[in-house]
Amino acid sequence: MSRIGVFICHCGENIARTVDCARLAEESGKLPGVMVSVDYKYMCSDPGQNMIKRAIAEHKLDGVVVAACSPHMHEPTFRAAVVQSGMNPYLCEMANIREHCSWVHTDRELATEKAIDLVRVMVEKVKRNQELFPIRVPITKRALVIGGGIAGIQAALDIAAGGHEVILVERQPSVGGNMARLSETFPTLDCSQCILTPRMVEVARDPRITLYTYAEVEEVEGFVGNFKVKIRQKAKSVNADICNGCGDCWNKCPMKKIPSEFDAGLGYRTAIYVPFPQAVPNTPVIDREHCLKFLKDKCGVCAKVCTRGAIDYEMQDEIIEAEVGAIVVATGYDLYGIGKEQPNERWKGYGEYNYDTYKDVINGIQFERLLSASGPTQGEVRRPSDGKVPKSVAFIACVGSRDPEKGIEYCSKICCMYVAKHAMLYKHKVHDGQPYIFYMDIRAGGKNYEEFVRRAVEEDGVLYIRGRVSKIYKDGDQLVVVGADTLSDSQVQIRADLVVLATAMVPHKNAYEFAQKIGIACGSEGFYSEAHPKLRPVETMTAGIYLAGACQAPKDIPDAVAQASAAASKVQLLFSSDELEREPIVAKVNEVTCVHCRNCIRVCPYSAIDDKEIRDRHGNLIRMVAEVNEGMCMGCGTCVAACPSKSVQLAGFNDEQVFAEILALGHE
Amino acid sequence: MIEQIREKAKELLTSGEVKVVIGYENGGMPETTRPVFITSPDEVERLIWNKHCYANLANFFVRKEVASLGKPAIIAKGCDVKAITVLVQESQIKREEIVILGVTCEGVGEPLLSKCPICDVNTPRDYNFLFGKEIAPKNGINKSADVEEFERKSPEERWEFWEEQFSRCIKCYACRQVCPLCYCEVCIADKNQPQWIETSSHTRGNVHWNLIRAWHLSGRCIDCGECERACPVGIPLSLLNRRLAKSVKERFGYEPGYDQEKAPPFTDFKQEDSQEFIR
Ligand SMILES: Cc1cc2nc3c(=O)[nH]c(=O)nc-3n(C[C@H](O)[C@H](O)[C@H](O)COP(=O)(O)OP(=O)(O)OC[C@H]3O[C@@H](n4cnc5c(N)ncnc54)[C@H](O)[C@@H]3O)c2cc1C
Ligand code: SF4
Ligand code: SF4
Ligand code: SF4
Ligand code: SF4
Repeated sequence: MSRIGVFICHCGENIARTVDCARLAEESGKLPGVMVSVDYKYMCSDPGQNMIKRAIAEHKLDGVVVAACSPHMHEPTFRAAVVQSGMNPYLCEMANIREHCSWVHTDRELATEKAIDLVRVMVEKVKRNQELFPIRVPITKRALVIGGGIAGIQAALDIAAGGHEVILVERQPSVGGNMARLSETFPTLDCSQCILTPRMVEVARDPRITLYTYAEVEEVEGFVGNFKVKIRQKAKSVNADICNGCGDCWNKCPMKKIPSEFDAGLGYRTAIYVPFPQAVPNTPVIDREHCLKFLKDKCGVCAKVCTRGAIDYEMQDEIIEAEVGAIVVATGYDLYGIGKEQPNERWKGYGEYNYDTYKDVINGIQFERLLSASGPTQGEVRRPSDGKVPKSVAFIACVGSRDPEKGIEYCSKICCMYVAKHAMLYKHKVHDGQPYIFYMDIRAGGKNYEEFVRRAVEEDGVLYIRGRVSKIYKDGDQLVVVGADTLSDSQVQIRADLVVLATAMVPHKNAYEFAQKIGIACGSEGFYSEAHPKLRPVETMTAGIYLAGACQAPKDIPDAVAQASAAASKVQLLFSSDELEREPIVAKVNEVTCVHCRNCIRVCPYSAIDDKEIRDRHGNLIRMVAEVNEGMCMGCGTCVAACPSKSVQLAGFNDEQVFAEILALGHE
Repeated sequence: MIEQIREKAKELLTSGEVKVVIGYENGGMPETTRPVFITSPDEVERLIWNKHCYANLANFFVRKEVASLGKPAIIAKGCDVKAITVLVQESQIKREEIVILGVTCEGVGEPLLSKCPICDVNTPRDYNFLFGKEIAPKNGINKSADVEEFERKSPEERWEFWEEQFSRCIKCYACRQVCPLCYCEVCIADKNQPQWIETSSHTRGNVHWNLIRAWHLSGRCIDCGECERACPVGIPLSLLNRRLAKSVKERFGYEPGYDQEKAPPFTDFKQEDSQEFIR
């Protein structure tokens, strides 16, 4: 016999306005098995909760239905309350008569009828609920950080400082990310390399951090506290244990005209290379697509000149398997391509700016390289076409950003700032030069940011022109920038020696596929989604996976670093206990009726089901069945739907319960 | 051809390579055959092969009594082999643990069963030994002509048709027992807590049963037609099966029984799966 208590909440006016709570209580009280049915203004308040606790004792209840708001809001509250009266929390259920009823209906009569139905359904379910107990799983206290830009570096250092092991995976030959390519950084104009390299070195030196560069994460399996990952260490063709980074090899490599990715195509590198002088680690890799040894089985110079014998042309990719408890994704960003080729159909590119054809139309990162002391021009601003020092430079903001026509609606957030920085740094280097900035409006919200922009205008004479550029064409050896000046409502034409486009910050080309691979969500643009835009900004919807840096949204360095530290502290929090308690809403296979068709194994999105051998006591295999790993099951119920013989059941939502709910609806 | 089959059966049994040969023997009445399980080389003469070897013997693999005999060899037509392929795919048997004595087949029954004119596996797609002359697969056959014809009726007419058909079902479950792919030991139809399918012989329960049966076989049924042949009240179950097969082919480009490496569509998700039904 069931002894169910029904507790109906008014939610102030929220429910009571549309649902006749007194009548609901009365009708619910008549349901078979219901011992007590009451309504109250705020069930979640202390007096409300006490009412439930008292009733459990008084009426010896063995099930509770709270008819109130969404279980998302208060299920934990009420379950905790019944526990205090000695009841198993899973014998308490909520009927949602707010979001599912009072908020979406206006007719009081009908809404009340529906509320009665909702309560009846839950009463029938609760009658069939069983006591469930939390599942405990151990936590592997080791973190994986994907991406070795400033965000990844910061997260790795913080987690390591907390005393935990970290695996840092970077797909380029060196850590550093985009920050390593920058010259000086707003708003303080400190040298990017100078503040970054100590951290890069620390990451390599910290004994708790294992660094894999030129490596990629291939596969992520498992769940919070217990991920299994596969990392592909691409063949570097150089034995890092032996190499001392002397540089003989890359100095002698005959392939000298390969456009350098690090210099955004403005400089060259060799086939065996380190991307930049301060690279960490400082051992080179061979780019097999350009190496003569691999292309034509010729050359072999690097092996000949390496006195330590570190070159190994036979080296193979290696798969490294690791177990980690938490993952920080810090894969950063890319820049909107303004040429013809775009990674998707929505992005249209900027044919009208002739980026494809004019060498002197470049993007922001390229300009950073021109400004950088370690860049292709040793820090002198010289334009790519003929090496001339440009006497006038036009900077164009919002290229790609905030331009739905070109496929992107969002603001890249950092461009206003770096455009001001660029103009300023240019002026510092070319005193008689004139910088122009085409902008839509200046977004300089940040500590000391507005002051920085003002300084550009007032001290460095940067000319800001408010309007979009419609066209860039060549006239002699100059570029003519045609645009609107919306403040004076006129057309302007600027003759510039160099044009710098502040192109939108975009996710990596394969961001979506990568998100799929590791099991997190991303928005339509491909930036990774946080669990809640305000309250859970560094967590993903997948427990145990966190976000840091520009892979989540356009960010500058301070924001990227702050988020990285926040993610690291979330990881530390997770690692602060030895075991994880998980909800027991998991699937279980009935081994008697399972016929091992493997449907469930194939459909489980979390790979939580495996084959199990059933043997007799002599060890002979009798048959095979499926078995759910409780630690990995997320309770989605996909297997339940896929099983033809109905041999899998989800605890808390078994067929009997669901049938009873449906039948209760059809009642009358 | 039967001589070669008998010879091979004898050889396999004598060497101990297989413990039982599953084949056909004379059914006792004219134009009938029945399954036979030959376990001794001396009995191979009982094996026959003719136009009346309808049964899909793959059905017997998963039966405990047969499995307990030891490694089997099976005489299989192209359509029967498709069932074997699905059984392998669904981990009910291991391919290396059986021997397929494939027979090429021009069709069974007089007149031919409805599956035969639309058969494209006259030569089985998988076998260990093949008997009979290879027959090139026919091109350009329309496997769902009868479905298309039927679909010209209005939804009401179609419903009326099926309601009438299903109302005659006596829930003998012969269709299930004979199907090589209905291997669940406890069928959903036998579950009573909760009870998924009403057991009384009411049309509503009959519809439940027949739709669930067909649905559980969609993307799996290889159109051997055994269910329809077994049905004592003559419900055209193949028409229903082929209707689902048509959808599966259209939506997922998949036909069961042709490739054991391919994942069955209902347990496989692909990014590019058609999703026009999600709005
Ligand atoms: C022109 C320009 C000027 C800027 N100037 C400033 C400035 O002055 N001040 C400022 O605060 N900010 C500036 N920024 C912004 C700054 O670059 C970013 O805020 C910062 O680099 C973000 O760091 P991150 O670590 O999130 O990403 P990134 O620097 O992009 O690092 C991501 C790293 O992850 C790696 N990675 C990517 N995918 C994978 C994968 N699948 N597996 C392994 N590794 C992977 C990448 O190789 C990269 O090393 C500027 C940006 C631009 C474009
Ligand atoms: S409910 Fe089933 S399908 Fe879903 S995660 Fe658990 S085992 Fe996998
Ligand atoms: S789907 Fe059902 S019958 Fe098939 S393996 Fe899983 S539990 Fe067993
Ligand atoms: S449903 Fe009928 S036609 Fe299909 S495999 Fe089973 S018995 Fe053969
Ligand atoms: S064989 Fe025919 S009568 Fe028997 S259960 Fe199947 S459909 Fe019904």
